[in-house]
Amino acid sequence: MTAKTWAVFRKELLDTLRDGRSVFAIFVFPFLLYPAMLFFMSWMQTKNDEDARALQIRVGVVGQQAIPSVMEDLAKVQGVIPVTLAETPKNFEDAAVDAVLVIPNGILESIARGDSVRVELLYKESENASEAAAERLDPVLDDLRQALLVAWARGLGANAEGPPAFVVEAKDVSSKNEMGRYIAALLIPYLLIFMVAAGAMQTAVDATTGEKERSTLETILATSATRAELVLGKCLAVLTAALTGAFTGIIGLWFTFTVVAAAFPAMESSTLQLSIGPDKLVWLFLTLLPAAIFLSATLVAIGCFARSMREGQTYATYVYMAAVFLGLSSFAQATPPLSRYFIPILNTALLQREILTESVQALHAVAAIGVTSLAAAFMLIVAVRLFSNESVLFRT
Amino acid sequence: MIEVLGLRKTFHDRKKGEIPAVRDISFTCRPGEVFGLLGRNGAGKTTTLRMLATILTPTSGTAKVAGHDIRTHPAEVRRRIGYLSGDTKLYDRLTGRELLRYFGALAGMATPAIQARIEELQEPFGLGELLDKRVGRMSTGMKQRLSIARVVFHDPTILIFDEPTSGLDVMGARAVLSLIVNLKQKGRTVIFSTHIMTEAERICDEIAIIERGAILAQGPVASLRRDAGKETLEDVFVEVVGSVNHDG
Repeated sequence: MTAKTWAVFRKELLDTLRDGRSVFAIFVFPFLLYPAMLFFMSWMQTKNDEDARALQIRVGVVGQQAIPSVMEDLAKVQGVIPVTLAETPKNFEDAAVDAVLVIPNGILESIARGDSVRVELLYKESENASEAAAERLDPVLDDLRQALLVAWARGLGANAEGPPAFVVEAKDVSSKNEMGRYIAALLIPYLLIFMVAAGAMQTAVDATTGEKERSTLETILATSATRAELVLGKCLAVLTAALTGAFTGIIGLWFTFTVVAAAFPAMESSTLQLSIGPDKLVWLFLTLLPAAIFLSATLVAIGCFARSMREGQTYATYVYMAAVFLGLSSFAQATPPLSRYFIPILNTALLQREILTESVQALHAVAAIGVTSLAAAFMLIVAVRLFSNESVLFRT
Repeated sequence: MIEVLGLRKTFHDRKKGEIPAVRDISFTCRPGEVFGLLGRNGAGKTTTLRMLATILTPTSGTAKVAGHDIRTHPAEVRRRIGYLSGDTKLYDRLTGRELLRYFGALAGMATPAIQARIEELQEPFGLGELLDKRVGRMSTGMKQRLSIARVVFHDPTILIFDEPTSGLDVMGARAVLSLIVNLKQKGRTVIFSTHIMTEAERICDEIAIIERGAILAQGPVASLRRDAGKETLEDVFVEVVGSVNHDG
């Protein structure tokens, strides 16, 4: 690094720190966005629960005469209105029902003979009310199944009031710490990528396309600094903004799930203990660095290529969306094959998940860091080449 | 000294094909002189000056600026030039002091030398009120003073001015022209482009009239007037440029 590169770095960083939009995106955004998301999700959950409770569902029953008690049993379920139907309707809308229960004729006799029977529950997963109907009918159908079993057993001479209960009660016994670690392993790699891309975007476009648009480009091109010194200084400033964005993103996440969630009794269930040891933080930083350089150099290269701020921001948004998509893709990869560690950004997210869950595989680490470092070096060369190409810099 | 020899620049356009912007021009600009490039908008003045400042690479031909070839030693050339264009702006979010420090550092000056130079230029350029004020909050005149201070900050021996008075009011333009005369008196080599005849007539020792990328006439102002039999430079310009366009 030369003194001229540092001069460009200092200037671009100063410029960024005096730009309200960049300061907002890097320092304020995480502390507003995450709590806002938490509040919104809690509110949505509460609202959905209330709406579901208030929902009145009409369930059509075909063949109710086969089990005389079924209409009464259905009527006892809160929010369910049973409706007698002569036959299975062609569509729910015409019959004004949300779901249909089809009971075959002679079901009791069939059970008594020991034959298998089939009761059909028709519903639409694509409609909320219909799906809710299926859920609400579950216990009624369980009771019906049990009653039929008792009838069958009695037919065989058993003296039974009901079969012995067999209840499965699923309980999440994860501690806050374990849940925090799980969420951290899932969310932090993605958020780091997301915040790096968001933090780099504004600075990269401003430092490159902004020079063209503000007509300041010629003044620096006519100085004795080389094109490489100028580009490296800009990349360094973009990288610093990106890593700062990632750091504030993590702090924002911790603030949301530990401080904000604990401060509101309604969100007590959302509190998590996000604790990452210093050793893991160092490893996260080291693995993030090549990906951040890659993203910064890519955005700087794009900024050099773009003719105007609008064009630059459009291209940068595509890069940002691609980075977010790759980061999000890591969610769905439970045991990714080695080939996934050759895809920049995705490989960083996957490797960071391994770091956070203490399951790092050496081959994965070498592939991820190696490939991303090569990609970062390549993009730096591309950025310098583009910045040295007058037909790109002065294209109209 | 600037020695231009057969300089040519052709741009490539996908739709229009080859566009010759500068066609084999040659001239010499000596220390202690102001050389004027006089031409209409789009005549090739800016492209020529950008090549001399090594911002653009010539298609063919070359030039020596302060003894260094613009094609083979662009870094050496840039070290010795100060470049100001009427179109170029400054960084709105920096203060005057930060801006001068930045360009001083890009010119390779050490921090103590930068501080000393700021002190040195403070009075002649009236920088006092500008140093701690952000560029975005400065008036046009203030920005122009700062721009000029930026150009001469590293004390270049060659000054390249591309329509430096464009967009300036009378007072601003006068200040720029005074600076150019002052630099000439200090023995600097100054090349200056304009489309304003009175400016060229007032400060240039030698003039080249450029049209469609080619130099049509060249020489001291008095000699151009005498040869064309005209009283003013404007009359000379109209006749020279008009004859080419009439022919072409």
